[in-house]
Amino acid sequence: MEHIFESLSQFWEYTGFANCSWQNLVMIAIGLVFITLAIVKEWEPMLLVPIGFGMIVGNIPMFPGLNIGVYEDGSVLNILYQGVKQGWYPPLIFLGIGAMTDFSALISQPRLILIGAAAQMGIFGAYLLALLFGFAPNEAGAIGIIGGADGPTAIFLSSKLAPDLMGAIAVSAYSYMALVPVIQKPIMLLLTTKKERLIHMPTPRTVSKKEKIIFPIVGFLITAFIVPSGLPLLGMLFFGNLLKESGVTKRLANTASGPLIDVVTTLIGLTVGASTQADKFISVKSVLIFGLGLLSFVIATTCGVLFVKLMNLFIANPAKKINPLIGNAGVSAVPDSARVSEVVGREIDPTNHLLMHAMGPNVAGVIGSAVAAGILLSFLG
Amino acid sequence: MRKVLTSVLVLLVSALALRAQNVSDLIISEALAQPDSTGILDDYGRRGGWVELYNKSTGTVNFGGCYLTDDRSDLRKSLIPKSDLRTNLGPRQTIILYCSGNGHDGTFYAGFTLAPGKTVYLVSNDGRTVIDSLQIPSGLPLGKSVIKLAPDIRQQHFAPVAEPAVPSPAIVNGDQNAATKGELMKERDPYGWILTVVSVSVVFSALAMLWFLFWLLFDRPAKKKAKDGDASTSPGITKGKRTVILRESEESEVAAAIALALDMEAGGDTYAAIATAVHLYLTEAVHDVEPGIVTIRRSESGWNNKSLNFRKLPK
Repeated sequence: MEHIFESLSQFWEYTGFANCSWQNLVMIAIGLVFITLAIVKEWEPMLLVPIGFGMIVGNIPMFPGLNIGVYEDGSVLNILYQGVKQGWYPPLIFLGIGAMTDFSALISQPRLILIGAAAQMGIFGAYLLALLFGFAPNEAGAIGIIGGADGPTAIFLSSKLAPDLMGAIAVSAYSYMALVPVIQKPIMLLLTTKKERLIHMPTPRTVSKKEKIIFPIVGFLITAFIVPSGLPLLGMLFFGNLLKESGVTKRLANTASGPLIDVVTTLIGLTVGASTQADKFISVKSVLIFGLGLLSFVIATTCGVLFVKLMNLFIANPAKKINPLIGNAGVSAVPDSARVSEVVGREIDPTNHLLMHAMGPNVAGVIGSAVAAGILLSFLG
Repeated sequence: MRKVLTSVLVLLVSALALRAQNVSDLIISEALAQPDSTGILDDYGRRGGWVELYNKSTGTVNFGGCYLTDDRSDLRKSLIPKSDLRTNLGPRQTIILYCSGNGHDGTFYAGFTLAPGKTVYLVSNDGRTVIDSLQIPSGLPLGKSVIKLAPDIRQQHFAPVAEPAVPSPAIVNGDQNAATKGELMKERDPYGWILTVVSVSVVFSALAMLWFLFWLLFDRPAKKKAKDGDASTSPGITKGKRTVILRESEESEVAAAIALALDMEAGGDTYAAIATAVHLYLTEAVHDVEPGIVTIRRSESGWNNKSLNFRKLPK
C-alpha cells in the first residue's frame, strides 16, 4: 500500500499540475487568444494557429530532464527548433515567397520601389528607440527588424544577433503582422486628406516575360553586391522568383510555393511558439520588445505614407500622382498591407482599386527588409 | 556538343565547389622548438617541440592523410593518419601536433623533432604540394614560440611575427579579448544615428539603383512606344472572331464596371479581388502565358490491371 502511495506521489511530481506556475498559465492563455483570433477573426490563421498552439505546447508545465522540452538538447522539439535557431527556415520561406510573388506591379511602375525603401525607416526608428531603452546595439538591431514586418527576416536576424530575444521578437513580428489592418488604417486616415485618398492612379503597363525573367537576376546581383550579408534571404527570394518566371521550372516553382513553404511555415510557427517557454519569455525585456515592435510598425507606416506625399510634391502631372494610401504597403507584410490600401481606398471611392498599385511597394518592402537585415548583420553581427 | 559543354560546366563547378573548403585552408600558426620547464606535456608526459595547425576557413577541414616534414627534399616524412576521426578540424579551430621524433606515438605525433633554424612544412595529401611552412628562427630563446598573426582577423591573412612569443598552444593567435562588433558600435555610435543614416542610405541606394535600371531599360522605352501610338501593349478582348483593342481608359472602365457590378451585388474583398484579377487578366499585367499543353490522363483498363494479370492460385 505504501508503495502505491509512493508511486502515485512520484507520478504526481511528473504531472503538469505539480509543476505549474502562473507564468505557464499566462502563456497558455496568450496561445489560446492567438488561436481564437486566427479562427474567429481569421487574422493570419496560417501563422497564428501554429504559433498559438506552439505556445501551449511549449508551456505545458513539465518535470525538467525528460528530454522533451524545446530547449533540451536532442528532444524532438529541439531538433525541429534548430531550423529557427540556426536560421534554416527563413531562407526556405523566402524561396517559397519568391516563387509566389509576381513582381509585375513593381516592374511596371519602378518608382514605387522607393516607397518600399522609405517604409524601412520603421526598422531604424525602432533601433534608435531600443538603444534609448538601454538595449545593446545587437539586441536593438534584432528588435528593430520587427519594423520590417517580415517574420522570416525577423527570425533570421534575431537568431544571429540576439538569440536570447528571438522568441519575443518572432512572436511580436508575427502578431503585429496579423494586426496590420488594425494598426495601419488609423495612421493612413490621419495622415491623408480626402482629396489625396481619391487619387486614381494610372493603369500599369503590361510587363513582358523578358522583364519578369531579368528582374530576379538583376535584382539579386544589385542587392547582393551591395549587401552580401543578406545573401541567404535575397538569394532564395530571387531564386524562387526565377523558378516561377523562367517558365521552364514550373514543377520546382510549384513545390517551393506549395508543399515546401507549407511544411516550413508549419514548423517555424510551431517551434517559435514553443520557444516562448514562460521562464525564458516572461520578462520586462519581452514587454519592451512588444512595445518597440508596435512603435516600429507605426513608424514604418507613417514614413511610407509621408514619403508618397513627398513624392507627389515632385510629380507635376496630376494624372501621374500616387495615392498616399499605398504608402503603408511599403512594409513587407505581403499581401496584408496591400489589402489594407485596397480596403481603405474603396471605403471612400468604391471604384478606386489600389490593390495592384500597392503590391508594387509591398514586394519592394520584402526586398528592402532583407537588405536592411543584411546591413544590420554586417554592422552588428 | 551541347551535352559536352554542359558536362564540362558541371565538372568545372563541382571542382570549384570541392576546392572551396579543403586542406589549403590550413596554416601552421605556431611552433615551439625548445620548451622550458613550464611547457605543455604530451600524452606520454614528455615535454618537447610542437606545431599548431589552424583552420582559417569557415568549414570543417579533414587533415588526415597530410604530411608534416622538416625536410624540403622529403615531403612525405611524417604522415598524419587518415582513419582518425579526430583529424576533422572545425572552423577557426586549432590543434597541436607533437614533434616527438616518433610518428608511431599516435595520430598527433610527428616523426621528427624541432630545433631552432629548422623550417616545418605542412604538405597536402598528394605528398607534393606544400600548403604552408613556418621557419623557426635560429636565435629563438628557450620556452618561446614563433607565431603567425592576422592583422585583421576577418581577412584571415596570416604572416609570421618576427618577435618571439609566449607560447599559446591550442589557442587562436590574436587578441582574444577584442571587442565584438556590437561593443565597438556602442562605443563609436552610442545613440545609433550613424548606423541609421548609413543603413537608410544603403537601403535607398540599393532600391534606387534597381528603380533606375528598370526605368531606363524597360519602363521608359515601353512608355515611349505606347506614346508613339503603338497599341500592341494592350492585348484586347476576343469577341467571337474579332479582337477588340481597348484603350487604357476603356480598360479601366471595364475593370471599374465589373468591380461596381460585383460590389453592388454583395460587396466585400472577394469581389474586389475578382475584379482586380479580371482587370489584370485583360491588361495581361500578371497572367502567365499558358503553355498550350494538353495532358491526357491514362485511364484504367483490363490490360494494365495488375490484379487481373496475376496467375490465379490453383484451388
